Amino acid sequence: MTLINEKVEVSVDRAGSPIGFSWKGGLYLVASKPVRWFARKQWWVESARVQRGIGAGVLEVEMWRMIAADSGKKQGQFELVHDAMQGIWRLVRVYE
Amino acid sequence: MFTHLNVASAFSGHYGVTRPELLAEAAASQGATALAITDRDGLYGAVKHIGACLKLRIDPIVGVNLTVKDLGRVVVLAKGQDGGIGWAALCRVVSAAASKGKPIAITREELAELTIRDGLALCTVLIGQETDFGLASIARNRLLAAKCLTEWRRLFSAKGSLAIELTNQLTEPETAGSTTVAARMLALGDSMGVPCVLTNAVRYLSPDDALTADVLDAARFLEPLGSFTPQPNAQAWLKPPASMVALAVEITNDRDRAKKLLETTEALADRCRLNPPNDCGWGKPKTPEKATLGIDGNPFEVLWQRAYSAIDWRYSDAKERKLLDIRHRLGKELETINKLGFATYFLTVADVAQMIRDMKVRIAARGSGAGSLTNYLLGISGVDPIEHDLLFERFLSTERSSLPDIDIDVESARRHDIYRAIFKRYGSNRVTLLSMQSTYRGRGAMRDSGLALGLDEDQIDEIAANMWRFSARSFRSAIAQKPELAMVAEALEKDRKMNLLVDITERLDRLPRHISMHPCGVILGDATLLDLTPVERSGLGLPMSQFDKDDMDPMGMLKLDVLGVRMQSAMAYAVRELERVKGETLDLDAIPKDDEATFANIRSTNTLGVFQIESPGQRELTGKHQPTEFNDLTIQISLFRPGPMKGNMIAPYLDGRHGFAKAEYIHPDLEPILRETFGVVIFHEHVLRIFDKMTGCGLAKADEFRRSLEDPRVSASVEQFFRQKAEARGYSPLVIEKVWEILKSFSSFGFCKAHGAAFALPTYQSAWLKTHHPKEFLAGLFTHDPGMYPRRLLLAEARRLGVKLLPIDVNVSTDEFLVEPDGIRMALNDVAGMSEAEVARVIENRPYNDLADFYLRAKPSRRTLERLATVGALDSLVSGTEYNRGDILARVRELNAITKRKVIDANQPMLDFELLERLPTGNTAPTKAEIVAAEMAILKMDVTEHALEQYRPMLEEMGVVHSNELVGLRNKSEVLVAGIRVATQTPPMRSGKRVVFITLDDGYGCSDSTFFDEAQGRCSHILFNNRLLIIAGKTRRTGVNGVSIMAENAWDIRELWAQWQARRPELSA
Repeated sequence: MTLINEKVEVSVDRAGSPIGFSWKGGLYLVASKPVRWFARKQWWVESARVQRGIGAGVLEVEMWRMIAADSGKKQGQFELVHDAMQGIWRLVRVYE
Repeated sequence: MFTHLNVASAFSGHYGVTRPELLAEAAASQGATALAITDRDGLYGAVKHIGACLKLRIDPIVGVNLTVKDLGRVVVLAKGQDGGIGWAALCRVVSAAASKGKPIAITREELAELTIRDGLALCTVLIGQETDFGLASIARNRLLAAKCLTEWRRLFSAKGSLAIELTNQLTEPETAGSTTVAARMLALGDSMGVPCVLTNAVRYLSPDDALTADVLDAARFLEPLGSFTPQPNAQAWLKPPASMVALAVEITNDRDRAKKLLETTEALADRCRLNPPNDCGWGKPKTPEKATLGIDGNPFEVLWQRAYSAIDWRYSDAKERKLLDIRHRLGKELETINKLGFATYFLTVADVAQMIRDMKVRIAARGSGAGSLTNYLLGISGVDPIEHDLLFERFLSTERSSLPDIDIDVESARRHDIYRAIFKRYGSNRVTLLSMQSTYRGRGAMRDSGLALGLDEDQIDEIAANMWRFSARSFRSAIAQKPELAMVAEALEKDRKMNLLVDITERLDRLPRHISMHPCGVILGDATLLDLTPVERSGLGLPMSQFDKDDMDPMGMLKLDVLGVRMQSAMAYAVRELERVKGETLDLDAIPKDDEATFANIRSTNTLGVFQIESPGQRELTGKHQPTEFNDLTIQISLFRPGPMKGNMIAPYLDGRHGFAKAEYIHPDLEPILRETFGVVIFHEHVLRIFDKMTGCGLAKADEFRRSLEDPRVSASVEQFFRQKAEARGYSPLVIEKVWEILKSFSSFGFCKAHGAAFALPTYQSAWLKTHHPKEFLAGLFTHDPGMYPRRLLLAEARRLGVKLLPIDVNVSTDEFLVEPDGIRMALNDVAGMSEAEVARVIENRPYNDLADFYLRAKPSRRTLERLATVGALDSLVSGTEYNRGDILARVRELNAITKRKVIDANQPMLDFELLERLPTGNTAPTKAEIVAAEMAILKMDVTEHALEQYRPMLEEMGVVHSNELVGLRNKSEVLVAGIRVATQTPPMRSGKRVVFITLDDGYGCSDSTFFDEAQGRCSHILFNNRLLIIAGKTRRTGVNGVSIMAENAWDIRELWAQWQARRPELSA
């Protein structure tokens, strides 16, 4: 398993599930049904404000796990973090 | 549609975030037709939930989240629409779990026994991820999970008694709360034929509230965030139906199975929908059974008969005309009581009152109940409503059907005895104590927030100390405005954690914090009481309902407030001492209410120790007011409240009373109503009479109008009614306008006269005792300490009255202040640090022959022995004038130096050389100043002489005025006063400027000084830090007997003394 923290470009289907992303110059296509969950953040370490109404974004984050392969058929399991508020995806873990 | 079956409200202490009312509103607006509340460990929020659901026209469902011993947490839901057997079973389950103390838990066997009767399920138990079955499922141990489920099914085989609870909180796959675990539990349930339902194990209303839940978790674990495993994410919110359907589909991966899961959930919800009146006895008044009260036949007839026959007792010398009035009024009251069906209620309260009186405990009514003639005749209240012109309608009317509140004051020292007696008399199946929920307020919210963030406790305390006079909810805006929070404002700019602290403090504000025993509430019901309310153990050991005072009326429960009042204990003690020492019996409730000596004493403003009128402000008002009769006391007590003070009612009343201004009645019709207060509207009773007089609406309706004045939504229609009717009755537009203005502004200012009169009774009684039996009264005050001042001020008052305080004597003193022919003997327990056991040993083993004898048999600790010797408590053990206190202390130190205390053996003659009593001689006796200093340290009282005495030569030379001479001085005289600071008050002022009131005691009485801005600037460092002060200022006359000082400067006496001694060495020697 490799820990990574890189911004990646992700394309999603109508339900918001990833179907592919580009990483290290390669295009990875999702080869399994992606699994989504919500993991938590330590807002007391990371956040500047937690006033009423700030939203759950400071507490939790959307995670996706999927099998994907690039054109060279190099396959692995990937975990992506999705910051829905800013529309940013980051690749955080790779199991190759 | 989706019905949430697992919802913790904010009444799940340190767990749930949202108040039940908000949850119900949200559910209703999501289209739900029912909603459950399942608080942790109790039904704390249940009544509020039911009330909210009824208002929203959705069906309430009630359950509890409870720990099953060794097996984890389950949800137990009451079956509904079964005549209350489901609700009763739920109450019994909670009581069974909570009655054994912490941790709250029930065994699975007991749970099954209480929830299944004759093969019928009275409740449904939901087993989810927090049970043994759930944990096995999370651990992917199918075999174990199946075994656990089999065990559950074995005990809960009755149809509807058990279901598997699936939750999908979208956590990481394979962890608790994840879709995969839920799917696994579903599969096992399906294969074993156990029904499955879907919940979201709700903790909060919206995702944003999850942050608050984090902080509550920290408060529950008593650990900072980061040092325990927090909730997995922010998904435990009240999700709308569409989201719940999506979650079901995600678990099942099969639309049909998802549909069936949701149908099973709705079927269970339907089974649990409550019909509050039929299931919970909602709104149906409950009182003890007739037989319990010893009544035969119709309760109303019994009440009628008892009240009428008491007329002879209460009004023995009334003339025929007055008797007619009395009978007429009683008839009207009883008619109302009968219409409301409250006869048994009154008989119950009368029964309790009689029981308390039979216990020889003093009792008095408080509140609007004193306005009822029925209460007076039944002996519930001691205030004559006819003599004091009080209205029944303020207390009870057919316009309202809620059970009235009758509050009873008793001797504080006997309160717990009374609770136990009530349990004994009515049976513990009919009685419980009332609970109360305390909520997070400013400082508490900030402390727990700081704890959650792991901030330094001292730092939090420092900030919290400045948090007063604003709510935590507006913390951030307060920081921007209040100068005393400048330090916080500065920290906010650079400290991230401070910002978080402010944010979460605001979030915690007003959430329920913990449950405790209500200080005075007792619930009385019939034999079904414990089927209607769950109970837990109170700190007192007696069972306590999980419902609070706001829940009583909706549940139709009879709540009796039995409040302990220290003044009642003090007065009872005085009466007992009078009987013990002088053989005089005194019925305090029968003394004449027009004793001139008593009023003269009150007018002198020497009211220290007198109930309600001893504070500096009340004494100043007494000086201006000069009361001459009982009703004056009622008025004065009612005037000295925040409302009347803010409403500026005091000055016009005093002006009218002293003839400085002509009383303004607006219209001759109002004169009879307002004559007693010179045209000023003070009492609720005034408003009722004015409404009635000018509109003819009747007093009962008038009280409804009065109540609605506070509600801006309805006051407009009241105004319209008032104007129309008054106009129709011929009042001029000007009169109507003026009267309406007064009524409108009155709503927040007025006071119930019955309440004032009920308070005035102990005020008068204590003043009477102080006037006629000062020694006994002071002994009562010393023993029960009811007042606002430190005890040493009572000592000064005793000195002023010529009552001597006799030093502690181990051969005489007890744990009470005893009256002796020469004075009052101080009690042993006034010695700082002396334990109850030590006091008991001293009393038990007397008399003592000498110091060694006392040392051996009373077995005081070294510290206590030395302290007793220092304050002279051992003087009586030494005979012969050649010895002084110094010799006694020397001997005590010898005894204390013995390393091992000898055990006395009755068979062995005492020959121990060390213990042979031989007193050393020739030690230096302590000086008076040293003795006074030691007394202040050990007894907190300067018994031997006033602490100011040692400075007298200097004070005399400076021309310091004694406090009792102030009243004889001209207005605006320049004076110096001295004394010990006994009270400092800095009340909030409308102008925002701070004013400091300081009361000094100089052994002749008290002087009150006022420091405004400029004077504070000169000496604020001295005002707050010193006990012994000299104050310079000008006298300001506040009334016939009232003088206060406009202070200009202040000094520390000891500092001046040092300078004075340096200058006059020959005098100070």
